[in-house]
Formats: sequence, structure tokens, C-alpha cells
Amino acid sequence: MYQPTCLLNTWVQENNELVKKWKVRSRAQTHLRWCSSEFYKLLRKTQGVPPHPDHVHLELSVVYNACVCATVQSQFTEAQLLLTQAIQRALQMTSDDPVAPDLPAFWRKVLRSVVNTAFNSCVLDLLCLQWAMWLATCQLKTIQEFKLSSLVETRGAGVGDDKRSEARGKTSDAPLLVTDPRRLVELLQICTSIAQGAERLSEDQSSEALSGLQKASSLPAPRTLVAYVHLLSGSCLSHMNCPQMALQCYRKALETDSCCVCALYQSMLIYRQLGNTQAEIQALRLLHSMLMLPSATVPALAGTHLFSPSLLLCSQSLSSLLLVPSALSVLHNLALKCALHGRVSEGVEHYLDLLAALHSEDQHGVRVYAEAPRLPRLPELYLEAGAALLMARRSADCMALCNEVISTTLELLPERLVLEDPEERSEAETRDVTAEGEDKMAMLLWAGAAYLLQGHCHTHLKDWKQAVNHFTRCINLLVKVRCKKTDMVVKQGSDLCVLQRLKGLSLAGRGIAFTQTNHLREALRDLLLSLQAFPECVGAGLWCGEVLWRLGRRQEAVACWEKTWSFTTQSSAEGLPLYLREPQSGPLLDSKELRHRIQELGPT
Amino acid sequence: MRATLSFLSSVNKPTGRSPSVLFLGVVVMEGRCAVETWAEFGFPDASRTPRITCARGTDVFICTGSDEAVLQFPSPVSDLVESHDKQLLYVSCGSGVYCVSFPFLLSRAQSSPADACSGPAEVKVPSEFLVVEQESVSSLLLVGSVLLVLSQRDASWLLSLYKTAKEAQCSSYEMLSSFSLPLVSSGDTEGTGMRRRPVLTCVHSGEPKSQSSSSASSSTLADSHFQLDPVLFKLLFGIEAALAKSPVVLCGLPDGRLCFLPLRLPGARLRVLHSLEEPVAFVGLSVVEETCPGHAKCLVVVGEQGRVVLMKTVKGGPEGGGTTAGFIEACVAGPVVCGSVDKHRLYYSTGSDLLVLDLSVGPSGRESRERDDDTSSPTAAALTRPNSLNVCRVMALAAPAHNNAGEVQLLGLSVRGQLQAIVLPVVERRDEALSNQPSAQVGRSVGDLLSAIGDVCQRVSVLKNAIKDKNQILRHLNQVLNVSFLLIASTNSEEHRPGQEKPIRCRALTRWSRLLQKDSLNLTCVLDNSSPYVLEQGWTLSVTVFPVSYSPGAGEESSSTNFSFPFNYLHPGETLEVSLPLAAAGDTSFPMRVSCSLIFSLSSLLREEETIHLPGLQRSCISLPLNTLTVDWLHALQVNNPTTHPINRNATSQSNHYPTDTVKAFLSSHRTRCSGRGESGEKKAEREQHSARIRVSSELLRDTLVDTLEPQGPKLSSENLCISLLDWLLSEHPGGGKIGQQGDRIALSSSCVHARGPNGDSVKLSAKEVHVGEESTGKEEHLSAVEVQLDSSSIATVCGLHHAVLSRIQALLQSAPERTASTVRVQSLGLREALKRAERLSEQIQQSRISGAFGMGTSTGQMSRSLLAVYKELRENPLLII
Repeated sequence: MYQPTCLLNTWVQENNELVKKWKVRSRAQTHLRWCSSEFYKLLRKTQGVPPHPDHVHLELSVVYNACVCATVQSQFTEAQLLLTQAIQRALQMTSDDPVAPDLPAFWRKVLRSVVNTAFNSCVLDLLCLQWAMWLATCQLKTIQEFKLSSLVETRGAGVGDDKRSEARGKTSDAPLLVTDPRRLVELLQICTSIAQGAERLSEDQSSEALSGLQKASSLPAPRTLVAYVHLLSGSCLSHMNCPQMALQCYRKALETDSCCVCALYQSMLIYRQLGNTQAEIQALRLLHSMLMLPSATVPALAGTHLFSPSLLLCSQSLSSLLLVPSALSVLHNLALKCALHGRVSEGVEHYLDLLAALHSEDQHGVRVYAEAPRLPRLPELYLEAGAALLMARRSADCMALCNEVISTTLELLPERLVLEDPEERSEAETRDVTAEGEDKMAMLLWAGAAYLLQGHCHTHLKDWKQAVNHFTRCINLLVKVRCKKTDMVVKQGSDLCVLQRLKGLSLAGRGIAFTQTNHLREALRDLLLSLQAFPECVGAGLWCGEVLWRLGRRQEAVACWEKTWSFTTQSSAEGLPLYLREPQSGPLLDSKELRHRIQELGPT
Repeated sequence: MRATLSFLSSVNKPTGRSPSVLFLGVVVMEGRCAVETWAEFGFPDASRTPRITCARGTDVFICTGSDEAVLQFPSPVSDLVESHDKQLLYVSCGSGVYCVSFPFLLSRAQSSPADACSGPAEVKVPSEFLVVEQESVSSLLLVGSVLLVLSQRDASWLLSLYKTAKEAQCSSYEMLSSFSLPLVSSGDTEGTGMRRRPVLTCVHSGEPKSQSSSSASSSTLADSHFQLDPVLFKLLFGIEAALAKSPVVLCGLPDGRLCFLPLRLPGARLRVLHSLEEPVAFVGLSVVEETCPGHAKCLVVVGEQGRVVLMKTVKGGPEGGGTTAGFIEACVAGPVVCGSVDKHRLYYSTGSDLLVLDLSVGPSGRESRERDDDTSSPTAAALTRPNSLNVCRVMALAAPAHNNAGEVQLLGLSVRGQLQAIVLPVVERRDEALSNQPSAQVGRSVGDLLSAIGDVCQRVSVLKNAIKDKNQILRHLNQVLNVSFLLIASTNSEEHRPGQEKPIRCRALTRWSRLLQKDSLNLTCVLDNSSPYVLEQGWTLSVTVFPVSYSPGAGEESSSTNFSFPFNYLHPGETLEVSLPLAAAGDTSFPMRVSCSLIFSLSSLLREEETIHLPGLQRSCISLPLNTLTVDWLHALQVNNPTTHPINRNATSQSNHYPTDTVKAFLSSHRTRCSGRGESGEKKAEREQHSARIRVSSELLRDTLVDTLEPQGPKLSSENLCISLLDWLLSEHPGGGKIGQQGDRIALSSSCVHARGPNGDSVKLSAKEVHVGEESTGKEEHLSAVEVQLDSSSIATVCGLHHAVLSRIQALLQSAPERTASTVRVQSLGLREALKRAERLSEQIQQSRISGAFGMGTSTGQMSRSLLAVYKELRENPLLII
């Protein structure tokens, strides 16, 4: 039998050549495709002759290589077909024909029938690939039932096997494989642990998940995956209400892999949950700078392994855990937090950075994310930035931003607008689909807010006349809106709520401005109307009392003040945008002085 | 390929003066005529050289005025786009997007050895230039530094954004993001033939405070990105896009959807703006109104089947809700192959015509705005009235350019690959209410119309002339073909029936003439057109003269001489006479063959200026052989006239140098014969007299010569028979037949003729009646025969004449009636003797040839002497020809 051995040798050499070529530049997609087709061709050649015991080793090696190529390209069905057919062919020699209803049963039969044959190890290699495919297609249950890790572990630990494979690597007549099966097993084990942990976590089995993950943390694995393990442990702990321990885990994850941005993001969320604003801002700042690094989102792991974790870890629960908002969104969060928590100038800078990033011609490093759910709409960002600027007493800049919003919207503003009850609209009609009415409403509110901010700016500059002008413009805009029903419920965040708030604030602002120009009657009217539209407006309440006081209606004034003080300040403002908050920049009334006045008035 | 390139280089001239950087591409899909084309205009930069880029199949041609290059890509090219600084070229083909820099290209093109004449340099694009690896890319667009790539996946359209590098680096571009839109089956257009490429354009929001609008608009038009009126921009694409000053990418898909994507807006998605329900053919912006010249006020979308959608701002919406975007739909006659807009007009080509549609008569016109209630109906009506420009087969249009005179110049590419510059006359914009215009305007428009009519008239007359010319050529060609078929048919039939004459044939006669003391033999060829067809202009009679044999000493130089005589018209029954010099005195290269043919040159069908463009045609012609004549020694003989000495004869007296004084002739001939005899006796010592004899049975001669010569009576006397034989021998002309002119007839009075051969040797032809009997058998059977004897001192003359007489008699025998042959009694003994003699002689010849071949024993002189003896012996005892 001279010829078959000769053929065998040429095929083995062909296979080895291909493997060498593959290893030279395995990254390019075209190269991958080319290699894949070459392996397929070789496989067809080797399968052209009837199954022969001498050939089995080569044939299964080629199948392994071809399957790796297909799996890496996410062609799972092709790979699956290849795998089962090759094994069936190989088993024809042992005269067992494993016909099984499903894959696990098939594999069990196969393993039983090859257990003492020469090509047991080859079949086990192929089983690893099956494992990879199950993992990539999220069939965690099958993997679990099969107890794959223990099964393959025995093979990996087998001493004789190790020797044999070493010998195999040295001699040139043994077929080479594109990846080392032992490395693959290691990778599969940790990935399976991670996927299982994520799955359990999403099913609220935090403690089980945690124990599984703790076992996995001792496995040999690349940095990124170890970091994932720590990250998942942290998530389990935070679910189990141990925020400090969770933070520890996140810290470990970051220490293991400095590019693990999601760990940082998760810690930021925990800080927010704990109310540690300064730490939260710090985390946000770090997160943003990390996201701005060019390699932040591309896992560096891909270079070393053929199977990227993204291929093997594709379960929904894990990817939702690993989700990190875009850099712009983080920047916005950072700016908002800074502005809200006393770091106004810093917040202003972040806002300006954000706007600059949005306008930059070529957005360096800032990828345009298709889904950026957290970022508010652009005019709102302008208005928030404007409000922050006003807080930082840069009224000229604020007015410029507001002007931009106004000039953009002004031409499109409707003459009349009917505000419908949002509950009447069906759920399916989202913001995009509904007609321009919604957009018109938003536009009107934006323009109104812009006028309001401008009014505040003029108030800040003590240009009372201009302030009155702008507040009036705002009010004129707002009165174009009619409510369809008179008894609509003012819900937090709804258009109606914003409208009412805007009305209240602008009327209050105008009233205060009138007060400053000594138009007390107009001032009183506006302030009363403001309180009617927005009863919790502190400024309007205090100034209303002041006007009443000045008009000599002191009892009413005292009642008004005391009612205002009884409000829990800022309680309702939590979810509101920055520009709808009461400005702290206008003329202020000192509460102490007012109380003093009340005391002076004495009990009547 | 070559044709396309030459056309492109010829394009340089017209585009050189107009906006200069022309960028144009053609993609041929699957090598068939499904051509997709697009054209883009740039504006002049420092160098005013036009640059043309053109893709076809897997190749891209680039012409920069001075350099040409062909880029070869591994798979068919689907789209190409040029970078803003004109330094990079992005080309998408099957495997992805390649980026080629022009400096690299030119250096490669120049370094590769390519002749100027052998076509442009070919550069294979290496795979390092693959910057985006993506399959089935259908369209490209470059916005700033972002390259947009639209490709079709299994179930979705995928728009990917790539960040371009500053220089042409051989690395993959970084993908910024990608957007997908699920595929909608486009119904019937899916299967039918050509799939339209998606249209990608970029729209910017115009700056509201554009005082320098003219410069701004021109510079942005150069990028092929348009500035849209800000209000309309906001209405169509949303406030956020306007606030972010984001360019918006418009994408017209083959399924009819027009999608848009604000580029710089975080969270933006590819959204459908409108659905045209037919493949989008064109997306453009038009100003429509003059009030704001900087920005386009109208977004125009044209579908393949002719649906036109105008998107404009409509003031005062339906429920008083401020301005809204108005969508005005109209239908024009499709199919729309390509389109282009300028300020007020939409130009589109249906393949068979180029049409222009005035967009300004729409609702933005002042009248229609006043009556708000029906805005769309008059528009739709007006939009369905496009004006034809009468230019057909335009496949692609470039953006129209206005020159200083206000004319609009369009550049179109026709199906055949011609780049056409279409200049539209200055058309005053007419409003619908023509009656409202002042009379001066009406007059002017009437003038315009009249001039338009004049233009049309001119075009019609030009076209008529062209058609007339073509008809003329066809008729001419028909005649030529008729003649050709006739002659070919007669050539074929001639092989079977030799007697039949060709309807167009040549006759010839020979004449000696004397010019400048030199005698020469002239041949007059007569072309006889007895066919029913006219030989028209373009035919040439070609006469080739060559000796039948030539002496080995003369070598090859005495080969053929060619004469050609072009002639204009030869109607049926007419003849054409041409004469040509045949031989000078002393030339003995007879017999000569004169072969005549008719040649038709195809270039004479066309006018001269047309033939210049077809260099191959000038040499192509049809050659039809007529007949071949033989001029032998007899034709070349100069018969000595009894009255005039042949030497003193001059050319002018040639026609009447045969006086009919028979007595004198007889006497003189008798005398010369006597003197000749005496002379011969005298000269025998110094000069050998050669002679040859041919015997022909007189019965045969009687039968045949009576037929051929005019009958001189029922039965010729022997004397007359001899004379008539000599007469026939001397008077027959090449080509058969005799010249009918009486003056040319040689009136022979005696049976002995003295003549001079062409080499000047005198020769005597005599004929006498002899009786040949069969003496051995003793029977009284004897035949009367005429013996022609040739005597001359020159052996060449004797040989030539002998050959000539024999061949004449052979021809006579062929035409002889059958019965003469049947009456012949075979002279068996004479034949046998002759045969024996011939055998001996042949042996002798063989011997001499062998010895000659071995070159031993005999010298050349000896050999020639022995051969001469053989020849003489052959001539001695002539057989009787019966």
C-alpha cells in the first residue's frame, strides 16, 4: 500500500502549510475566508477516499481546522454539519452508526464508542469545538447537562496525551492544528463560567452566580476575562446589597484590566446609589477620559486568541451588564452633576466641551453611536448649558446660546397649539412616529425656556425693562397652547408640567422685575398668577409677600411667606432639567430679615 | 476600451474653457449596455486642466489632460468619488473600497513604459489600497473627512461611516458607526434588468445671514453638497440637525424610499423622509425663487418612472400651525434615466429625449400663493408640461453651468459614449400669465419663438441633406453591387460556356506610332459596357500588361506594368477608349498578356472629409477581373506598305498608310519577293535565313474563314483563300473581332506580305496552296492545304510568328464546326512518321538537357546549337492542320 501513505503525506503537508500560512496573518477577514475555503478543499480531497484507519487522524485534524475557520466567521450551521458528518464517517470504521435524535445524545454515543480507539483525542478536540459552538449560540443548559468541563478536563490532564501531542508538534508528519486545543479548553471554561454567571444574575440567583464565579476566578485566563469575572462578582454583590464589597470587586476588575470601563461605570452607579456625589463625579470624569482613549472599546484581547470573547460571550444578559453609555452621555452626566452639586464653573466647562464635541467637524475619537439613550435632545442641551452659564454668572454667553435656540425654532412656531392628553395616545406611537404636533409642542417649550433664560439673564444684569420684555415673550408663547381637557393631571416630566412650570417661572420673573421698577400692582398680579400656575415657586411666594408687604397688606404678606416656607424646597425639582429650576441669581430676599419683620409686626 | 478613451480625450477641448475639473464616471455592469453614469462638477483650482475619470467594468480611466491612466481593479467598479482636495480617489468595487492617490497614480503611470500611441498606462491597483473591506458596496459619498459607504446586505441596507486618513495610507479605515435600514422588496423592479444604484447626496443647512451668498453657494456646489434653505431644512430634517449644523445625508434607494441621516447628531437614525414608490433616479436642490439666491428653496426628487416630488416650505399650514413642509407630487412621462437641476429648471433625460421642466411655476409663484386654497393642483398641471430639447440618448447629465451670456450649458453623456455639450439658448422665464406681460416682452418672446423655429428649420434641412446623401450612397452602392454580381456570375459561367462573352469586356487594338524618332507600339483598350447598368463614379479601369514569358537573361525586371484609368460615367452601350504604350521598337518580349479589371474604391462613396476619419476605407476597394487579352507577334508586325517605306512612315500618316492600290501593291510585293530571293541567295553566306511552315487544310479554312471573314462568295478560290488567310492573320485584333473602321483594314492583294517585326527585322509571310498526298499508300487521296511560310533572318521573329500563327489557328480550330473534323481522313502514316520524329527529337532534347545539367562534354554553345537543330527539324515538316 504505497500510494495511500504517499497521499497521506502530501495531504498532511498541505494541511501544515495552510496552518503555517494561517498563523502568519490570521487577522484579515479575507485571509480568513481564503483559509477556510482552502481547508474545505483539502477536506473534500481527504474525504474522497473511503474511510481508512490511517487517515482518520489527518481527516479529523482537517475537520478541526475547517470548523475553527467556520466558527470564527460565525458560520455555525456549516461548522455543525461538517462536524457531525465527519464524525459519522470516522465511526463507520468502528461499525457503529450513531443515530441519535439530538446532538447531546449523539455525542454521548460517539464518546462511548470511541473511548478506547486511537482517535479518541481527536474526537475530544472536536467536542471542544462543539462546546464553543454551543457557547456561542447561548445553549448554556446543554453545556451544563453535558458536564463538558469535567469531561474535557480529564482529557487535558491525561499525561500520555500530553506527551503524544508534544511529540506530534515536533515531528513534521503529524497534521498541525490552527489552535491549540488545550488553550481552547481553558478559554471555553472561563467563558462558560462568565456566561453562566451572567445568566444566573439575570435570573436573580446572585449567590449561586457568585459561587460559580469565585471558582472561575482561579482559572487561568486572559486579563479581560478575569476582569469580567470580577465585574460580575461585583454585580452579584451589589444585587445582594453589599455595595462596599461590590466596589471592591470593581476595583479588582479595574486593577486586572485597566480597560474594563464597565467596572468603572458600575462603580459610578454605586456611588450614585450611595449618594456620594463627589466620588460619583470623580468616577464620571475618569470614565469619560477612558472612553476618550482611542482603544477604549476595542478589546485588546483579540490579538492573542483566535476565538474572541465577543464571539463566545454573546448572551443578552451579559451584554446588558457590559453596556456603557457613550462618551458624550457620560460627559453630559458629568456636567449636570457638577452644575447641580456646586461645581458650577467645572460644569460649565463640561457643557461647553460637550457642545464643542457635537459641533466638531471630524469627531476625533468620539464615535457616533447609533444608540445614545441617555443624551437629551440637542436644544435641551443648549438650554441646560445656558442655565449652567447663568449659574456661573456668564449671562452674555447664556444669552447667545438661547438666541441660537430661538432663531432655530422661531420660524417654525405655530400660531395655536392644542395639547392633548398623553394618556389618550396609544403606547405604540412613539416620539418619532407621531406627527409634527409633538415636535411643535417641544419646540414651543424650548423657545419659551430660551426666552425665560434670557429674562433671567437680564434680571441678573438688572436690566429690568429687557427682562420684562423677554418674560413677556415667553408668556405670549405659552398662552398659544390650549389644553384639550381642562382637568388634565400634571404629571412629572410631561409637557403640561413643563408648560405650567415655565408659566409660573416667567410670570414670577416678570413680577419680580415689575417689583424692581415699582410697578407693584402689575407685580402682584403676575406673582399671584405665577403661584396659581406653579404653587411651589419659592421666589414667587416670597416676592408676593414682599409686594403685599409694600402695599401695606402685611397680614397677607406674613401668611404668604409662611406658606412658602412650609414647602419642602427643591423636592419636586429633582427630575427636572436644569433650566426649569428656580434661578438663584435674581434679587433675593433674606429669610432672616423677613422673619425679623414678622416678629416686628408682632402677633396681631 | 480604446474607443472610450479616444472619445474622452476629444472631450478635453469643450470642457477646457468651461468649469474645468470634470469628474465623470461610467460603470458598465456585466459588459452590457446597462450603463450607470454619474457626473460631478468641480470648479477651477490652480491648474485648469480637465480631469476625467471614467470607470468601466473593472477598469477606471483617468485623464488629466496630459496623462492618461487606466486603473485595473479586481472586480467590477460600482462607484467612485473624489476627495475634496482632488488628491484621492475612492473607488468601490466588489471586495470593498480602494483609495488611490493621484500623485501615486501619475508616478506609476509615467514609470510604466507606455507609448503615447499604444494607449494609456495601465496600473493594477494593489490590494494594499483596500481601505474598507466590505462586500457589495453600491454607493459612496464623502462628507468632510467621513466616507459613507452604502451597501446592500441580505435583508437590509447598511450605511457605514468611515473616518478617512489624511494621506493615502495603506491601512484600513476606522469605522465610526453604521446604520441599517431593513430592505423592502421593491416589487416588480426587482427582477427587471437594471438595478439602479442608490443615490447619495449631502445637504447642508444654509446660513441664514449669507450676504456673500454667491461665493458661498458656488463653493459649496463644488463639493456637490447643497445648501438648503434653513427653514425647509428644519422642517424636513428636524431642529436638532439644524442646531447641530450637521450635514444631512440623503439616500434615495432603489425601492423608492428617500432616507435621511443627520451625520453629526448623536443618536440619529436612518429615517425615511418620503417614499416615492419607484426607484429614485435623482435627488437635487433648486432655488426656484430669486428672492434668496443663496439657498435652494426646494428639494427635488425624481423617480425612475417619472414621478417628481418637490418639497417646499408652505406658509400657513392646514390648521394655521405656522410653516410646514409641502410635498408636491407630479408625474412626467418616464422613464427618467438621469436628471439635473439648476436654479429654476429640472433637466431630465428619458433616453429618447432630453426634457426641461420649469419648477418655478409652482406654488411659490406669487399668484398661487395668494390663493392658498388650491396650491397643488395648478402645480401638478404645470409640472406635467416639460419642454423637449430634442437631444436623445443622454445617459448622464452634469450639473448645468451658466456662462456669461446667460446660456445654460449642460454636459451629457450619451449611450454611445459621446460627451455632449448642450447649450440652451437664453430663455426668458415666462410666467403663466403671459397676457399680463408688457407688449415688448411679448414681442421678444415671439422673436424667441421665431428664432427657435428658424433653428428647427435649419436642423431639418441639415438632416434632409444627410438623408439625401445617404440615399445617394446607397443607390450608388447598389449599382456597384449589381455590376459586381454580374461580373462574378459571368466569370463563373465562363468556365462552362467559353463562347459566351462578358457583358462588360475589353477589346484592344495595336498601333505603331512614331514619336521623337522612336517607334512604339500603342495599345488602345476599349471598354465596352453592354450591361444594363451604369458604371458610375468611383470605377477605375485597371490594365495590367505583362509578358507571357520572358527570357532568362532579362531577369525579373520585365514584369508587369499597371495602368489605371478612373472614369466618371459609362452608361449602358457606351464604350471607353484608353490607350497605353505597350512596347518600344526593339522590344521583343512578345507575346504579351493584357489583363483588364474594374476596380471600385469604397472611399469614393463618401465625401473627402468623411473619408479622413476612416483611414482603413481609403485602401479598401472591390476588384473585378474582366477579360485577358494576348498581344502576339502578329499584332506587333508592321506590314510594309508597297508605297511607303516603313522607316519613313510617321505617326500622323498611320491611319492612311495602307493605300488600296492593289496593282502597285502586287507589283511591289512581287518585286520585293524577287529581290528578296536574290538577296537571300546573296546573304546566304553571311546570314542564315530561317523559315517555318504551317499547313492548314483549305477545307477547314474555307469553312471557318467564311464564317469569320465576310463572305466573298460561295467558294473561295485558292488564291483568294491564301490572301484571306493572311488578311485574317494580320487584321485580327487582340480581344477578338475586327475593328470596324475601314481605314484600319489592311487590304492585301497578294499572298505574300513583307513586314517588319517589332525588333526591326524584316519578315516575309507567304501563303500558297499545296496538295498533300499519301504517297506511300498510293491512293489518290490528297488534301488541298494552305501552307503559310514564314521567312526571316531573325530566328526570334520566326519563332514568335510561328507561335502566334499556331495559336491563332488553334483558336480557329476550337470555333470550327464539328462536321469538318468528321470528314477528315487520318493520315496515319504521316502521323506515325511525325510521331517517330518527335520521339527522336525528344530523345535528343533529353540528351542535351542531361549533358547540360551535368555540365560536361558539351559547351553551352554546343548545346544551344544542338537545340536549334532540333527546333529547325521540328519546324521542317509541318503537320497538316485539318
